[in-house]
Amino acid sequence: MNNPNRVAVVACAQTELRPAWSGAQHVDLISATVSALLKGSGVALADVDFVIDSGSDVLDGRSISNCGFLGAMGAHHKEESRVEEDGLWAASYGVNKIAAGAAELGVIIAYSKPSESDVSLFYASQVEPFYQRPVGFDHVAACGLQAQQYLVRGGARAADFARVVARSWRQAARNPHVAGTQTLTEDEIDAGAYVAAPLRRHMISRPLDGCVAVLLAGAAVARRMTAQPVWVTGMGAAMDSHAFAVRAPGRVEACEVAAKAAYARAGLDPRSAAIAEVSGASAAGEMMVLEALGLAAPGQGFAAYAGATAINLSGGALPADPIMATGLVRLAEAWRQMTQPADYGLAGVNSAIVHATGGVGMQSHCVFTLEV
Amino acid sequence: MMQAPDSYLIERPPLKTTLAMAYTLTPGRAAGTFLAETINRRMVGSRCRSSGLVCVPAQDFCPRSGGADMELVAAPDTGTLTGFTATEAGIIATIRIDGADFDFVHRILGADVGALSIGQRVQAVWAETMTQSILDISGFQVVATAPLGRIAPLNEPAPALPSKPYALDLHYEHAFGPFYGRLFDEIGSSRRIMGVRSSSGEGVLIPPREFDDISFTRTGTWVALPDTGTVSAMSVIHLEFKGQKEPPPYIYAEIQLDGAVTRLIHSIKGIDMSRAAELVRPGTRVRAVWTDSRTGSLSDISHFEPIAADDAAGR
Repeated sequence: MNNPNRVAVVACAQTELRPAWSGAQHVDLISATVSALLKGSGVALADVDFVIDSGSDVLDGRSISNCGFLGAMGAHHKEESRVEEDGLWAASYGVNKIAAGAAELGVIIAYSKPSESDVSLFYASQVEPFYQRPVGFDHVAACGLQAQQYLVRGGARAADFARVVARSWRQAARNPHVAGTQTLTEDEIDAGAYVAAPLRRHMISRPLDGCVAVLLAGAAVARRMTAQPVWVTGMGAAMDSHAFAVRAPGRVEACEVAAKAAYARAGLDPRSAAIAEVSGASAAGEMMVLEALGLAAPGQGFAAYAGATAINLSGGALPADPIMATGLVRLAEAWRQMTQPADYGLAGVNSAIVHATGGVGMQSHCVFTLEV
Repeated sequence: MMQAPDSYLIERPPLKTTLAMAYTLTPGRAAGTFLAETINRRMVGSRCRSSGLVCVPAQDFCPRSGGADMELVAAPDTGTLTGFTATEAGIIATIRIDGADFDFVHRILGADVGALSIGQRVQAVWAETMTQSILDISGFQVVATAPLGRIAPLNEPAPALPSKPYALDLHYEHAFGPFYGRLFDEIGSSRRIMGVRSSSGEGVLIPPREFDDISFTRTGTWVALPDTGTVSAMSVIHLEFKGQKEPPPYIYAEIQLDGAVTRLIHSIKGIDMSRAAELVRPGTRVRAVWTDSRTGSLSDISHFEPIAADDAAGR
């Protein structure tokens, strides 16, 4: 077997993430993003071998919604696939296609307009209908139970939840891609109503609308296109039990498995990564993810923010969660930090960890490692 | 930062829609037996013959080993609180039924969340009327003296509930965006069907869009299309199905409006339906028949009807 082709992220484009893009349809967001992606990239749509997209039919309110969005995605008469998971899974599909030698250049798209639907129904549709949905168990309840389990497991403190949220919103306020982000103080956050005790209002991620697109290229094409290819050096994905009650309490095992696979492929010690862009469904969830990624000891997730790896300079998912696109936004954010480090006050960024999650109470996880 | 895709603002409220999905769910042996036994106030669990682990409520597969060789068992309705949160739905808790190896997610009733603590003893509160639902257990309440129950053989279980009707209504408010927004505004206000010129300039695209699907370049200027066109494909619908707007038979057709390079799907009426396949065929000229209402949607066109073959654009 031949060695796999190396694959790089060569360009990213993104709309602003807004509480509601009420003046634009999905297709308007998607076509604007894909056109911005190609502009100045040095390639034309004719050069693109495939398009892979992520979105949710339930959120979109139409079946097989990608069929209606094909033209806006630039996928007319192209090989196109849809991944009904966060866009980072779509990217892993695309990386594998190129690594296997089946293609050289691919566009990955993820979009979300949760403002058009009821996000609680989106999550309810994912919950088991006989035993769980009727009793009111949903994503919000899962996040609350998970946060409590995290505290019970030991080491973590509820007081850190507000600190994590305040830090996320502070970072997001500096992020030109996130709209409607005021700076929140810890007191303001702690004064918020409980939505799923011990989690208060801002401690669960805020759904936003937006679209992101990423251009992936094989090594030969990538080197001709850019002086700064960002190489995908490792990937891993894993899914936990659908039944929340049978998952290990206070930790995210599927994330541990996904991270281990990605690091083994890359030969990366996570503590040597310069940056990490991670998706947490809640403040507790973000800390649990940091622990699962090996950036902090069990129960010590809060310590990761003071560690050598810069965590979520973008603000992460807590202030900006375009459901189904959140993880691909993390990849785009990491790419920007690696290619334009000065904009983030960084001298240089050699390696990054990118994380996506999906499902009720973060059932599934996907991890990328990037290097320049 | 890229150009904003909502650069032309359309003052148009979102399109409110509901997808009402009707299902007939199949619970299978384990959940089906659980739901059939609530009327007897018996809690049904299942034990995996390979791992020995017990699930309550019953499952068809072992959560740990994945084994499918599950023996149904009778479980007590008492247990221990292992976790809890409070949401809009009330107090949602994880409960470990006595003798089980996995938690059960349900509600806690009659308690203040601040007074709960992990390890408290709980007991099921059975509903007054049984509906073959998990809510036949209204919830659990804290009972400090709840006796310690145990798993026992399930004698003569009721036949599993074979299926359960279910409905999920999903509600949406879809943004129109600048292109569909203008199309529907002009249909409502001016009875005009507005498209945009394709990027090659050879024809008009409806619905209008910012990017030409085929060339993926920006489309050109707005063009008002006439309400006449030519049938490019048609089918006489005899089948009844959910979501239908009118009783069959009727004709569904793809109509290429004069000047358009895209086709519009609408119905054709105004003919003797017993001769539908003879009177309407690819190539038939048609014109829109507008309704009296101005809702700003494609239903402002009641239907299309055939016109004489030499009736030109009809302007």
